Amino acid sequence: MTEPCANVVEQTVRISARPETVWRYWTDPRLICEWWGKAAELDPQPGGTFRVEMGGGPVMLGEYVQLTPFERLVFTFGWEPTDGAQLIGPGESRVEVTLMEDAGDTIMTLRHTGIPDAFAELHASGWSHFLADLATAANQATAPEFNS
Amino acid sequence: MDEALRAVADPTRRAILRLVRDGELPAGEIAGHFPGMSRPAVSQHLRVLTDAGLVDVRPDGNRRLYRWRRDGLRDAVEFLDEMWSERLARLKALAERVEWPDRTRAAHALREQRKQEHQK
Repeated sequence: MTEPCANVVEQTVRISARPETVWRYWTDPRLICEWWGKAAELDPQPGGTFRVEMGGGPVMLGEYVQLTPFERLVFTFGWEPTDGAQLIGPGESRVEVTLMEDAGDTIMTLRHTGIPDAFAELHASGWSHFLADLATAANQATAPEFNS
Repeated sequence: MDEALRAVADPTRRAILRLVRDGELPAGEIAGHFPGMSRPAVSQHLRVLTDAGLVDVRPDGNRRLYRWRRDGLRDAVEFLDEMWSERLARLKALAERVEWPDRTRAAHALREQRKQEHQK
C-alpha cells in the first residue's frame, strides 16, 4: 500500500537503557526539558496536554492520544499560533513513539506523520489568507501616498 | 530554522516577504509601504529577514535590492527530520548516562561472579 501522505519523518535509535528509563523522558516534564525544550507542561494521559516551549520562541502544543506504558506513545504535534501564523497548527500532525526492548536495550522508533507543506511556499493555502489580508492592510495604509 | 520561524512570526516581516515575493524591490520602496514606520525600523526588519535567509539582497548602485529567497523557508519535513535527530540523540545520551552506573555495577558483579566460579 502506498503512503497517502509522503510527509513522514521516521527515525530509529538504539539506546543502551531500559524502556522504563526512556519512557520517563517522554512523560516527566522535568526530564523532557533536559533534551527537548526549556519548559514543559505534560499531562500524560489520553487527552492530556503535551506542551513544550523550545528555546527562542516556538512552542509545541499537542495532546497525548495514546499511552501504553514503556511501549507506545502517541501525541498530536503542532506549533502554538504566533500572530495568526500557523506553520503546523495544534492537532495537525501526529507523532508515534514505540519502545521495543532488545537484550536490555531499547529500540526507539519515532514516526511523525501528517506534516503539512506550510513552510514550503508562502502562498500555500494556509498562508495566502493572512498574506492577502496583510497586503490589503498595507495598501490601505499607503493609500494616501498613492493618491497624492 | 528557529530563526526563520521567528522571522516570519512578525506581521511586518510577513508583509515585506509578500512585497518581495514576485520581484526585486529597493529598500526605499519597501519602506514606502510602511508609512507609519521609521526607515531604521524597516531596515532592521530587512536585516532579520536577510539573516534568516528568507530574502536575498544585492547592491545596485547606491540602492539595495531585496527579493524573496524561494528555498529560504525550508520544507517542514526537512526541519522536523533535523529537529528529531538532534533531540533524540540528546535523549539517548541522557538515558544511557542514567543507566550507565547500574550497567557498570552489573557488569562488574558478573565478572566477580565468573571469577569466583572459575576459582572453585
